[in-house]
Amino acid sequence: MSEKKLRIMVIDDENIVGKRLKPALEKSGYLVETFEDGETALARYDEEPFDIVVTDIRMEKVDGIEVLEKILAKSDRTKVIIITGYATVEVAREALSKGAFDFIAKPFKPDDLRTIIKRAANELRQ
Amino acid sequence: MSIIIISSDSRNVEEEMAKRVADAKGFDIVDCRVLEDVAKDCNVDPGILEKALENTPSILKKMPQARWRYYLSCIEAEVLERLRRDNVVCWGVAAHLYVIGVSHAMKVRLISGSARRAASIAELQGTSMNIARKWVDDEEKRRKKWSLSAYGIDETSPSIYDLVINLDQIDPDEAVGTIIEAVGYRKFRPVTYSVKCLSDLAIAARVRAELLRSMKDIRVQARDGTVIVFVKGSGREKVKKSRAIKEIAGKIDGVSFVEVHVKRNITDAEGMESPDRSRYPGWPVIGKTSHDVDKAAN
Repeated sequence: MSEKKLRIMVIDDENIVGKRLKPALEKSGYLVETFEDGETALARYDEEPFDIVVTDIRMEKVDGIEVLEKILAKSDRTKVIIITGYATVEVAREALSKGAFDFIAKPFKPDDLRTIIKRAANELRQ
Repeated sequence: MSIIIISSDSRNVEEEMAKRVADAKGFDIVDCRVLEDVAKDCNVDPGILEKALENTPSILKKMPQARWRYYLSCIEAEVLERLRRDNVVCWGVAAHLYVIGVSHAMKVRLISGSARRAASIAELQGTSMNIARKWVDDEEKRRKKWSLSAYGIDETSPSIYDLVINLDQIDPDEAVGTIIEAVGYRKFRPVTYSVKCLSDLAIAARVRAELLRSMKDIRVQARDGTVIVFVKGSGREKVKKSRAIKEIAGKIDGVSFVEVHVKRNITDAEGMESPDRSRYPGWPVIGKTSHDVDKAAN
């Protein structure tokens, strides 16, 4: 029997990020949904939880750190990966303290993210 | 999987505490023993490298500033390479001043009151408390001057550390326990970003060290194999310098592309500080120049 496909949510207000990541991750066998704001993404998460959430930090209304906190409050099983074009030591440490699974600076290669997601998927399947 | 960098106003304290923390965590130690390997690469006596870590060129008349900066860059490149292995306690090689922007490197400063240090010096050297006190004050001023000249950072400032422990108030056993507990915080775990930052720093340092063998006033930024070199120069030498830098840097492991900026002044508004900072946000910068040293010394 084949394993259930992991569900990934990508949140970034630059729609090009979702457009590029969706096919790249689907090719690796994941189910992917993309969102351009944290509010809509959180509402969707309430309808149906995701295994992995990839979120940008700087977004209007609900930022990535808030997304991280709200999602982990709903389910500590979900792996939240932070992506940002404004990476600093302080932001990385804040994200980790709040439970982020990993933190990566933009721009990155799809392969870099795939490696992190593979690691998250392995932990989820253990 | 973390890096603990320990520094102190006393070398003995640094060494003892680093050993205890490394033993307790099962971590490797990176310390002044790396100087043996660096010395072979630079073809100098390890004692010269030790002096470079202790003194500024103005005191060491036999070591010109360009050589001093070259030796420091070689030490830096070797230490950064070893820190990439993770699970390391590092002391005695000034890493707290050049491991910048790496979130899984926890910097610890151990301090003891100047009265206590003076008493210990007086006992050790058999001098009066007044002389010992003056020695401690002078030593602090000397370290401050050295760190500012070498890296533009005042190592006596608590704000550059993640954890500062006063050994006048906290016993060594408690201090070891505190350091081990703190490094266990999630924030000090390596993440993809911090591992890349360290790798970029190591590549930039290696490139700079290679270039400083034959040139001076070099700054280097690196990211994902792309290296940007800033060097002082003008007129006809621009093309020649640029070509030479590309040739040297291009041969270094991990470097896939080299961009060279030859500028009249690499620290002014036309240099890297403003336009290139905004062009390459978040890129680690390796290298202080003679201009920075003059500024720091004044």
